[in-house]
Amino acid sequence: MEFEWSQEDREFRRELQEFLDENLPGNWDQISKDGPGSDAQAEFASEFCPKLAQKGWLTQNWPREYGGRDATPWRHAILGEEMWKRGEPRSSQYMNVNWVGPTIMRYGSEEQKAAFLPPISEGRATWCQGFSEPEAGSDLVSLRTLALRDGDDYLINGSKIWTSYCNYAQHCFLVVRTDPNSKRHRGISVLLVPMDTPGIEIREIPSLVGERYFFEVFLSDVRVPISSRLGPENEGWEVVTYSLAFERVGAPRYARAALTLDELAKLAEERGLLEDPTVLEKLGEARALCEASRLLTYRVIDLRAHDSPPTADTNVARVAGTMAERAVSELAFEIFGPEALEYGHSAEAHYRLAMTAGVAVGTTEVNLNLIASRFLELPKE
Amino acid sequence: MDFDLNEEQQAVLAAVGQLLAQRAGAERAIELAKKAEYDGELEAALSKSGFLDVALDVEMGFLEAVLVTEAVSAAAGVVSIGAQLLVAPGLTRRNLPGPVAVTRLGHRGPVRFGAHARTLLLDAGDEARLIELDPSKAEPVRSNFGYPMGRIEIDPIAGESLGPGSGATLRNWWRLAIAAEAVGSMGSALDVTVAYVKQRHQFGRAIGSFQAIQHRLAQCAVLREATRWMVYEAAYKGAPADATATAAAYATKAADQIFAETHQLTGAMGFTREHDLHVWSMRLQALRLEAGGIYGHQRAAAQARWLGR
Ligand SMILES: Cc1cc2nc3c(=O)[nH]c(=O)nc-3n(C[C@H](O)[C@H](O)[C@H](O)COP(=O)(O)OP(=O)(O)OC[C@H]3O[C@@H](n4cnc5c(N)ncnc54)[C@H](O)[C@@H]3O)c2cc1C
Repeated sequence: MEFEWSQEDREFRRELQEFLDENLPGNWDQISKDGPGSDAQAEFASEFCPKLAQKGWLTQNWPREYGGRDATPWRHAILGEEMWKRGEPRSSQYMNVNWVGPTIMRYGSEEQKAAFLPPISEGRATWCQGFSEPEAGSDLVSLRTLALRDGDDYLINGSKIWTSYCNYAQHCFLVVRTDPNSKRHRGISVLLVPMDTPGIEIREIPSLVGERYFFEVFLSDVRVPISSRLGPENEGWEVVTYSLAFERVGAPRYARAALTLDELAKLAEERGLLEDPTVLEKLGEARALCEASRLLTYRVIDLRAHDSPPTADTNVARVAGTMAERAVSELAFEIFGPEALEYGHSAEAHYRLAMTAGVAVGTTEVNLNLIASRFLELPKE
Repeated sequence: MDFDLNEEQQAVLAAVGQLLAQRAGAERAIELAKKAEYDGELEAALSKSGFLDVALDVEMGFLEAVLVTEAVSAAAGVVSIGAQLLVAPGLTRRNLPGPVAVTRLGHRGPVRFGAHARTLLLDAGDEARLIELDPSKAEPVRSNFGYPMGRIEIDPIAGESLGPGSGATLRNWWRLAIAAEAVGSMGSALDVTVAYVKQRHQFGRAIGSFQAIQHRLAQCAVLREATRWMVYEAAYKGAPADATATAAAYATKAADQIFAETHQLTGAMGFTREHDLHVWSMRLQALRLEAGGIYGHQRAAAQARWLGR
């Protein structure tokens, strides 16, 4: 065991921070106030991500043949931490590099790899995630969107919901049912669908989370070639679970939570609140929760660095991440009081992101179910 | 960064595991508890095999020391393991004659191992003091909380001062020891509870198949996993103030929750001396009250992080 960053990793973090200081504009707070899905942030990312790519940092943990540098997953984790601390200047592109690319690398045909991986590693691809449906949330395998073979094509009909970033996305990582008579985990496939294919319509769902966060995607007679399927037909559930294992710890929420907590402590001190033992206790408690979340996430990265298959450690980390987010965002409310009610206030902005932690990317309850069955091996209901 | 045990660490764990399987365990702890006895034999065996020297061994260090501490606690060893393996060598850079008790000025109530300790490490505020005790003068105190306890008359000028500022160092190692011992105890408390809910049937099914129960145990598993890594990291870093206070704050809060949940989910059986749960669960509460308790650790964590003290 070794709980220390290597000299090179520390050097990289420092360089990256300098790069961010130089490349994030003076009004970055303004640009990022509506969240990574906002027009302003998406536009910024379209310039910023290619710069990161030029530095060789966007996908450095990927193999060289796919536009990476064979760096360890730790390097990518450092990138993620620094990005989240600043409100994710990569906008939606964090998804590409965290899980879309790796899943294509694992299951894609040579043509798919050649078509999709370079744009991602060069910072010019935008993807969205078409998993959830109105009737398939936590119970994702009850999804109904149907893709039926029609000659050399699939004809897709159905709808997706909560599809973040789809307004900017060039492609959708779409999960469908390819066997109409199938149930549950069988009969599912993944399709990589261009968002400008005729028959796709999107509608924004106004939300509390941020500008342009939630969308509905309607698919009517959408025609794509069979070659757009990622992985085996009807056995796509494996592809989905593979991608989810990457996604669930993709966003290092603890990094932002810990930073918010540091800012809170500073403010609390300025306002003389650190004289109050209760405030100190709450700060200490929240700090402990952030540290717990960081270490459990590191555990997952470590398993990945050792090429271990995904385990329920991912779910453990996710639950801890939600606990940390909640503690910090609630404490921010306590410390700022009614000031936090103003839109764009730092406590409000943090709360807006934090409040979804227990739902997005699989709910806390679903994660607890998986810990119970896989980690504790408790019997099924 | 590397979270895997190296070969040396695996070997240490395997060896101490073997020794503990023969000489420790719930049954022995229950036997000893009847007369509030200390396990001198186990301490001697651990010492003879070199496990009490791992912290200062040139080939090993404090990471190995927390692993052994955790293992001894998980096996319910009735020895002052955290004080001997972490606090004494961390603070004084030598191994001190056991049993070792740790307490602080102003402490009220019994002290773990206070009826048997030959050495006392005292948190006297700015300085720490090393005090020799005469076990024949000890005053045992009856307690339900899993460890043999005794009252210690504290003389603030007895023994030897370990120098200005040594009090803070003592507190750091003490917090690490508490958290490390808590990891072992919470792990075993959770393990026996998970085993219990798999085997206990009500309403025609194993109670462990009820989701209300599963979620609470899954939450406990998260707490245990996190505590482990926090302890390992703090040990690796040599017990700095922030990492140790944070680990202790988390560990004691986790201990309290795991106590409540494991007892709730084992029903009446969990309150008996027939079932093993109490061997570990009651210890969790003793640990959770030591060295300032949950709130004290939380304040210390905040002070270390943001006030530089
Ligand atoms: C900010 C945000 C962004 C998102 N972005 C995307 C995206 O880009 N693409 C996409 O496909 N999806 C996206 N989602 C959707 C997300 O994956 C789902 O919200 C999530 O999987 C939960 O589904 P649901 O909202 O339908 O809730 P439901 O499944 O209806 O759950 C409601 C409540 O019931 C509980 N529950 C459900 N089943 C069980 C059970 N078996 N046991 C115990 N409790 C249960 C849940 O835990 C939850 O508390 C996003 C969600 C959020 C909040």
